[in-house]
Amino acid sequence: MKESYSLVFNIKRYDPETRKSWFQEYRIEAGRILRFTDVLRKINKELDPTLSWNSSCEHAQCGSCSVVINGRPMLACELLVENAVEYFGTTTFRIEPITVAPALRDLVVDLEKAYDRVHRIRPFVINPSRNPNQGQEYRISPRVMERYLEATRCINCFCCATACISSHKGFIGPNAVIASLVRIMDPREDATEERLKLLYSNEGVYRCHTSMACSNVCPKNIDVAHFIGMVKDGDF
Amino acid sequence: MEKMFKLSSGIQCDVLIVGAGGAGLRCAAHILEKRPGTKIIAVTKVSHPQKSHTSTAQGGLAAVDPNDIVDKPIYHMFDTWKGSDCMADQSVVRKIVDAAWEEIVWLENRGMHFTRDEEGRLSKRTFGGHTVRFGEGTAFRAVFEADRTGKGIMDNVWGEALKGGVTFLDQTILTELLFKNGCCVGAVLFMEKKGEFVGVSAKAVVLATGGCGQVFRVTTNCRQNTGDAHAVVLQAGLPLMDMEAVQFHPTGIVGPGILASETLRSVGGILRNKDLEPFMAKYAPKMKEMAPRDLVARAIETEIREGRGILNPDHNIEHVWIDLRHLSDYVHEVQIPEVSGFFKQFMNLNPRTHLCPVRPSNHYQMGGIPTNSFGEVQKSPDTIIFGLYAAGECGCASFHGFNRLGTNSILELITMGRFVGERVLQYMEERAESLPADAGDRTFSQFAEYLENKNEENIEQIREEMRRMMTENVGVFRTEEGLNTAIRALYAWKERVRSAALRCRGLQMNQELVQRWELDNLLSVSMVIAQGALRRRESRGGHARIDFPLRRDEFNCHTLAYMTDFGKIRFADQRVDMSIYEAKGENFEKFGMIERKY
Ligand SMILES: Cc1cc2nc3c(=O)[nH]c(=O)nc-3n(C[C@H](O)[C@H](O)[C@H](O)COP(=O)(O)OP(=O)(O)OC[C@H]3O[C@@H](n4cnc5c(N)ncnc54)[C@H](O)[C@@H]3O)c2cc1C
Ligand code: SF4
Ligand code: SF4
Repeated sequence: MKESYSLVFNIKRYDPETRKSWFQEYRIEAGRILRFTDVLRKINKELDPTLSWNSSCEHAQCGSCSVVINGRPMLACELLVENAVEYFGTTTFRIEPITVAPALRDLVVDLEKAYDRVHRIRPFVINPSRNPNQGQEYRISPRVMERYLEATRCINCFCCATACISSHKGFIGPNAVIASLVRIMDPREDATEERLKLLYSNEGVYRCHTSMACSNVCPKNIDVAHFIGMVKDGDF
Repeated sequence: MEKMFKLSSGIQCDVLIVGAGGAGLRCAAHILEKRPGTKIIAVTKVSHPQKSHTSTAQGGLAAVDPNDIVDKPIYHMFDTWKGSDCMADQSVVRKIVDAAWEEIVWLENRGMHFTRDEEGRLSKRTFGGHTVRFGEGTAFRAVFEADRTGKGIMDNVWGEALKGGVTFLDQTILTELLFKNGCCVGAVLFMEKKGEFVGVSAKAVVLATGGCGQVFRVTTNCRQNTGDAHAVVLQAGLPLMDMEAVQFHPTGIVGPGILASETLRSVGGILRNKDLEPFMAKYAPKMKEMAPRDLVARAIETEIREGRGILNPDHNIEHVWIDLRHLSDYVHEVQIPEVSGFFKQFMNLNPRTHLCPVRPSNHYQMGGIPTNSFGEVQKSPDTIIFGLYAAGECGCASFHGFNRLGTNSILELITMGRFVGERVLQYMEERAESLPADAGDRTFSQFAEYLENKNEENIEQIREEMRRMMTENVGVFRTEEGLNTAIRALYAWKERVRSAALRCRGLQMNQELVQRWELDNLLSVSMVIAQGALRRRESRGGHARIDFPLRRDEFNCHTLAYMTDFGKIRFADQRVDMSIYEAKGENFEKFGMIERKY
């Protein structure tokens, strides 16, 4: 087992003042189980305090630190140095911002713009259905919930949307679709028709050509394409 | 340099909510339900409200179901009071506990995906310190959404706030509060994306900025929890309360500090030191690994201090082991899959065949911005400041006293969030004020200084040194000597950082600039914690002094700390509200100065 690795990070940089973008190379020594966010922090400390990058919880629960590493969208907080070396078979990494939103500086993107897609599907109960037990919880069988619960684990990291080619061509994107599907299947929601109108529109699921890239990159291991298939089949 | 700054054309709103986490957005949702069309601006420092730290809470939230035949609100109140080491304010405890189930129904009815039983009702689980009949039996009181309860709450309140029409300002920070005629009338914000400062005038300002765990090197808290609002409040001449009351979770995963839940110990995990000795028997012969959080944290810290820890080379942090190797496949697969997954994910080791590294990790700030039970911010023990409110982890009502019970925090967020909403609705009708003429001056001189300096200090370096020192001297154990060392070091860093030059000069999305500002906030909060801890010559809840190991009656009061000049703190005492005890109702004697023994 190697104790530490000599890494080369080629990071895509962007300066909002000059609007220039370029790749900058950083050579850094890093312990085997450091996360990529730890390595970025190390770069700030030892090499370059100007490099900007995004993160928050740093344990794969918030989805703020998504970047594209050697072509693959991933959470930087979840990638350990030795796993990255093994997975990509190299110690050189090209790191770029995710592509579903404009860069603000370096690896930081305007996530609000990416979220516009999710806001479009109205991520809340639009028309609550009648609750037979007023003043109490709705009774929902775990059997009913089982069918869509996986999809509620989505953290809107936009890795799937970045990987999905259709998402760059007018499709609202995989994560927006599954957020809407959850409400369609949730017995507490009555606005199914309104939801389907968007999902079956020309920004909707028929833009998806089932490449499965979304399921493949999802850091939460959600089978996103499966849920999209459910929408296509009308199988709620 | 200061000329470079100006306030871009002002924004007006009815309510400014600073912090779009669970507490802030529950407040927004309530206001909009009762008074649709209210103009609310909610500000968040992270890239989108959904990324707020509430999303990471795992376990659950406590609430007594009125249909439960064994559990009663009075038991929940007792557990909270006992857990707090007799420092929670009883009026607040009663109010929150009584409102709890209503809030659960509110969340469920609006679409939160709580875990259910076969009848389709909400499932409940048990948590440390939650009992029925005043400690006699185990209470099943926590409702939950799998292992992502906080995410359920966050998604829900964000959705409701969006539905109600809140305007969000993402990646924006509060730098200054504005007052006129003694009332809070708005705030100065720095919008990182545009690199612009803006003055916002509001009829009411709600602070809901969460914790300040970044003060410590090893913490479960997110990168943005740097005590910003705490520092802004101090600057405005207002006090912080009980900041020395910090909770450390015994088992954070080295080095990120990620929370490895108590379940690991309850299913039979064994703590071992460098020599693989199962050391808990020395500290708690009967309960061993099952002893309460603070006791286990202290045992681990003692092992490390006495040289029986192990150094992790990558993160350069000492730890002990938790041994899960002897547990059955069933336990690994069914009872602890997520936590066991964390070790795989963040340490690259398999808990079935390897020992897992853990150490105490900073987890929760019990103290904060003092408020009454309506969330109105206090100026002194008996006066409030009009127009300013606080809720959630940044506030201190105080529901948790000196030690928080698991699952009581997210309960506090949503209940206090609503109470603040109720109060704001009443208050808002009365007034509107323009901003004071000097709005922004303080912020500008602060930021100008940051950009003018020319030196070689690296901010990340100082931040790391400071956090390490706080973990060592103001962490799980405290002594007079250690605290004095800490206070001296904080003064020295404040000097050093004064001349730290920034290399990134632009204002837009300048991470270095924001981190420089955060470092000032961290230093201020650290100073208040350290001096508060020095002054409190006793041990109570999360505050453990080796040199004063017992709780002492003369300290049966909250600490208020004022600090407008760095390091020069004025302290005041505030009495603990014991209204349940004083009402002399049924079982009142349980709410006296009882022992915290389990
Ligand atoms: C890993 C973990 C697990 C936990 N599990 C549980 C649990 O099971 N049960 C429980 O009861 N509690 C739990 N807690 C505690 C609980 O999650 C937190 O106390 C709570 O979520 C804090 O919520 P909040 O709304 O006060 O703040 P947050 O959710 O942290 O939101 C703060 C908001 O303020 C913003 N903000 C911060 N600074 C500024 C600024 N200067 N300007 C503008 N905006 C700002 C942030 O961006 C964010 O939007 C856990 C905590 C952690 C870390
Ligand atoms: S399966 Fe559909 S949604 Fe998923 S990546 Fe492919 S095209 Fe996009
Ligand atoms: S579905 Fe997966 S990849 Fe897509 S946004 Fe959600 S968590 Fe990320």
